Amino acid sequence: MKTSDTHAFVNQLLVCLLVTLGCTGSVGMGIVWMRHQISVTANTDRILAARLVEIERRCDETKALVAAEQDPDVLRRRNAEWHLGFVPVSDQQVVRFTQDPVQELAARRNADLFTNDRARPVVSFQVAQRN
Amino acid sequence: MSKGFASSYRTGLIAFSLLASFAGVGGRLVWLHVIARDELLRSVAKVRSRFDAETARRGDIVDARDRILATSRSLFVVNVDPSWLREKDETKWSQLAALLGRPLPEVRKILTTKFREPAPANPAAAASTAARPADLVFNLPPSTAAAGVATGSPEPAGAVDPTLAELDAANREPADEPADDTGDEATPDQTGRIPIQWAKLADDIPESVMSEIDRLGIRGVYGTRSYRRTYPHNQLAAHIVGFVNKAQHPIAGLERYADFYLRGHDGWREGERDGRSRELAQFRTREVPPADGYNVKLSINANVQDIIEQELAAIVERYQPLKATIIVSDPRDGFVLGLANYPTFNPNDYNKVPRDEMSRFKNIAVTDIYDPGSVFKIVPASGALEDGLVTPDTVFDCSLEKIEYQGLTRKLPAEDHHFGNLTVAEIIAHSSNRGAAQLAMRLGDERFFAYARAFGFGQVTGLPGGYEEAGIMRPPAKWDSLTITRMPMGQGLSVTPMQMHQAMSVIASGGLLLRPQVVRRISDVSNEMVSDFYRVAVRRVVSERTARTMARLLARVATKDGTAPEAAIPGYEVAGKTGTAQKYIDGKPSTTHHVASFIGFFPASNPQVAISVIVDDADAHAPGGIAYGAKVAAPSFKHIGEQLITYLDIKAGAPAPAGPALVWEGGRR
Repeated sequence: MKTSDTHAFVNQLLVCLLVTLGCTGSVGMGIVWMRHQISVTANTDRILAARLVEIERRCDETKALVAAEQDPDVLRRRNAEWHLGFVPVSDQQVVRFTQDPVQELAARRNADLFTNDRARPVVSFQVAQRN
Repeated sequence: MSKGFASSYRTGLIAFSLLASFAGVGGRLVWLHVIARDELLRSVAKVRSRFDAETARRGDIVDARDRILATSRSLFVVNVDPSWLREKDETKWSQLAALLGRPLPEVRKILTTKFREPAPANPAAAASTAARPADLVFNLPPSTAAAGVATGSPEPAGAVDPTLAELDAANREPADEPADDTGDEATPDQTGRIPIQWAKLADDIPESVMSEIDRLGIRGVYGTRSYRRTYPHNQLAAHIVGFVNKAQHPIAGLERYADFYLRGHDGWREGERDGRSRELAQFRTREVPPADGYNVKLSINANVQDIIEQELAAIVERYQPLKATIIVSDPRDGFVLGLANYPTFNPNDYNKVPRDEMSRFKNIAVTDIYDPGSVFKIVPASGALEDGLVTPDTVFDCSLEKIEYQGLTRKLPAEDHHFGNLTVAEIIAHSSNRGAAQLAMRLGDERFFAYARAFGFGQVTGLPGGYEEAGIMRPPAKWDSLTITRMPMGQGLSVTPMQMHQAMSVIASGGLLLRPQVVRRISDVSNEMVSDFYRVAVRRVVSERTARTMARLLARVATKDGTAPEAAIPGYEVAGKTGTAQKYIDGKPSTTHHVASFIGFFPASNPQVAISVIVDDADAHAPGGIAYGAKVAAPSFKHIGEQLITYLDIKAGAPAPAGPALVWEGGRR
């Protein structure tokens, strides 16, 4: 089949245009998709950052509420309202320990071991007899 | 290619169309991006540009055990743009009113008011009568005046104490924000009315409530976040912590002193927005994140503070004094553990303090002065002992009424009791005025004055937190013939409670004058240390030996032989000194108005805590009609001391720590 040069050129131009259109479209779509992804990622990042800030804010808010509940006046009021009966520690209730507590506890625990005036515990063994 | 694929005419047409399309698109792109670029960019920048300021969070103030004394809460101002409201949301208005805590009619009125009447014809004249510049009224420092925290006052400049004036300015609310605004671009309609673009519905709305309001989905109703300073412990340590006003300007106390560290730096963000005014995060061009303020840790212990505030409340209930101060510190490093004043205030409600009670804001421990009375006798006694002029056993004739000094006969002050010969130890224990005068005379004018200066009198102590009074102490060149006999007993000079506390702490610390401090540490948001504060010794006043001797002498005061057995704590050796100073009423010493004090420390051999109790004008309800330090202040000293023993685990008579000790560390096999 013979085609004229004009037709061949137009056909080739058409094909080239269509290919260019396809390629450009693909690249364009790719760019749009990429920009969309950038936008989505940036937005997600923004939302997460805002969420983090919000959580920190709520933590601070909770801390402030806890601090308000720990106010001595509030604690005294709660103590009275709930009939808890807590009273401040007085010095009479405190037994001061000036020695080394380990030595003291060990001495107390072992006090009975080496005293002569106390009957030593009897240790008995049952020995089996051989017939 | 087959000929039948397309006729040459059609093929050419398609090719031409495609080329024309490409050319059209290309031409349009050239138009948009080259020719009309500047104009289009201007309009885009105007419509789409967005600038967001991000407020930095002010740092917290915490006590020695990290309990929050001042913090910032995130609160919302709820606004409405009435022109955006939809009819279908009207059913939700009642829920909105309930969440805002306002009556529905009030909320409805705000929501339905869509126009504001035109402004008066001559607004400049109206404005000039409505407000006057703050600095013209109070002569405030530029920072406060610029902050716009002051409003008009009928009093002329200079009529108010500068300190009080500043506090007064702070006490006023910042100029009320308008309840609505027409916006910059609002244009009057045909009748001259101006459309309202926003109106305030409520402020100080917590985040949880704001979330519920958002869930209602009422179009046109939105919240603007702001931080509000809050003080969870209310009036606890109010004079130390200070407060920040509603406009977030620090006014008093450490809020003001440490503002540089606390305030942080606001951030901002520049970018673009979409058609619904939402930020397009991908188009952020510049961004400066906010830097939150640092946290300030104090040496104040909330429990110690509570103990002394409870005691102060008991004193007020029992004696109804004019004012009172209690200071507790660690004499080993000078850090203040608690400081309470009466009268006081709640920093959360600072704006509810009546104008005639502005003095409540003052930290009277450093701003008010008084004659110290007999507590000052520690100065001549320490000086005379330090210079080797006397020993604790040196005897003075305290029955003398007159004495010759520097060629002149001087009249000695009267005594409450008749004394004969007293040793130096007895002069302190019995608080002999004549004995103290003779000790000062033994020192001489200049040496006595030098010791008084060395103990810190006549100078500010340097306690951080605001204005401080230096006290009044005239140099010897300005003394009259009686000053050398009166000043040693604490008359003829004025000191602040903190100065007297600091002077007593010299004895407790082994002879060193330590700077009183309240800030222990400054740290950033991640709790990394920014700055630490340590003991600051200003100077050595007396030797350690003299200080130990003085502590031993002062320990006799709180015994049956001394003037204040009421201060004695069973099982502990308490060292201290009473003071009962006459107040000057109409320029004359009054016999019915006194300042009662007891300032001391314990255990005397190894001081771990110094306590000052100073009660001003409690005579009306004191036993016998005279507020003696032993009767009014000493029992409070004892009561506070007993509570601190258990809380701070103070051991009786524990020996003072020796010098450097070899420390054995490591496990045992």
